[in-house]
Amino acid sequence: MELGLLAAGIGAGIIAIGAGIGIGMIGKGAVESIARQPEASGDIRGAMILTAAFIEGVALIGAIICILLALGVGG
Amino acid sequence: MFRHVFVSQSLSPLKVAFVTLLVLFGSFGVGLSASATGVANASDADAAETEESSSPIDVMGKIADHDYIESPFGKVYLPRIFWVDGQFYTYSSTKKALTSGDFIEKEGVIYRADETPITIDLSITSHLVYVWLGFILALLISLWAASRYRRGIGRTSAPKGALHNIYEILYLFIRDDVIQGYIPKEKAPRYTPLLFSMFMAIAFMNLFGLLPWAATATADLTVTATLAFVTFIVTQASGTKTYWGHIFNFPGVPLLVKFILTPVEILGLFTKPLALCFRLFANMLSGKIMIISILGLIFIFTELFGATVGIGSSVIWVSLTAVLYGLKVFVALLQAYIFTLLSAVFIGGALEEHHHEEHDVEHDDVKVMDPINA
Repeated sequence: MELGLLAAGIGAGIIAIGAGIGIGMIGKGAVESIARQPEASGDIRGAMILTAAFIEGVALIGAIICILLALGVGG
Repeated sequence: MFRHVFVSQSLSPLKVAFVTLLVLFGSFGVGLSASATGVANASDADAAETEESSSPIDVMGKIADHDYIESPFGKVYLPRIFWVDGQFYTYSSTKKALTSGDFIEKEGVIYRADETPITIDLSITSHLVYVWLGFILALLISLWAASRYRRGIGRTSAPKGALHNIYEILYLFIRDDVIQGYIPKEKAPRYTPLLFSMFMAIAFMNLFGLLPWAATATADLTVTATLAFVTFIVTQASGTKTYWGHIFNFPGVPLLVKFILTPVEILGLFTKPLALCFRLFANMLSGKIMIISILGLIFIFTELFGATVGIGSSVIWVSLTAVLYGLKVFVALLQAYIFTLLSAVFIGGALEEHHHEEHDVEHDDVKVMDPINA
């Protein structure tokens, strides 16, 4: 149980790092492209949200595993 | 500027309403099985509640499915419907079921008096009630908008009133930017009613979670799984020959690679809706947990440093919660949008008529036309 809490905490931190880097890179790419081509900002924004949603999905699956660990569901 | 829209597509809101109705009753079956697992969880949570009655805020109890809905006037108990060994039992509440003598409770799980476990628990639970509320509200608003368009308001004149304007903006946004952006234009009208009713219903369900006493139906994995299941079925049903060809017999790759690629593609069929349901579920759940946890800090501070610090720090936590609430309104709409968007992307991907020979030609064209690479 104690180790489960530790694992959940470390896992949540790593998830935050991974998702942060991923979404940060998307944001960087999107902002740069909008600066280069402001007329395409609508399309870029749509693609940005879509890609961010995919990253978020992976991060949230990790977060759920952390919650399960913290609650001791995994035994 | 939007006048042409509803003239060209004969009363689409009416179709939206119709599909909402279909999905509403379609969801009944799956929703019931959803409630079955939900109730098992609820009774677990109830058991936990009695154990840890000392904690001032019951986080899991706020999230779990219950056999009652909370209202400002107290708990309203919902009917229990059991199916045990080919026999139906209906009671107006859990208490009635237990006092009737036909059912007994053991460690939070309900059994028939002769200790047969319940085959299917068809009880109506709090989350199911809010699923219905979400769909019914989407249905009513669509019917209302359809009746207005039929009378000509919004077709021959501009839409009148805030609600009508919001409806039209949302409808046009979902139809033009989301659905027609990813589904081929000539096939998009077939899917518009389904996807728009999904959007409306999910948005309502998410927003219901922000009300005090109300439950977030989309913070239940079974509800989001039901919704993702609808998307999954529609995607597979509308799959073209090219779509299935890309799964079972990927064109243009060596035979040995196909042995690896085909299982991966088949796996991909299921991971897409799985991620879809997890995304919505985890987003709504985490928002709910976060708000309850931050408010819970008041009690933790009171316990650690005394009542003065607890009350004093509440200024920070309450204002933080207020900001989070604003964020949650945004997230509620954003997640409904993302769910609809990804559903449209999956369905659009299944509809695509794609030819690899053309693909190569396209690439050659790009190379010649691109001044940087040339």
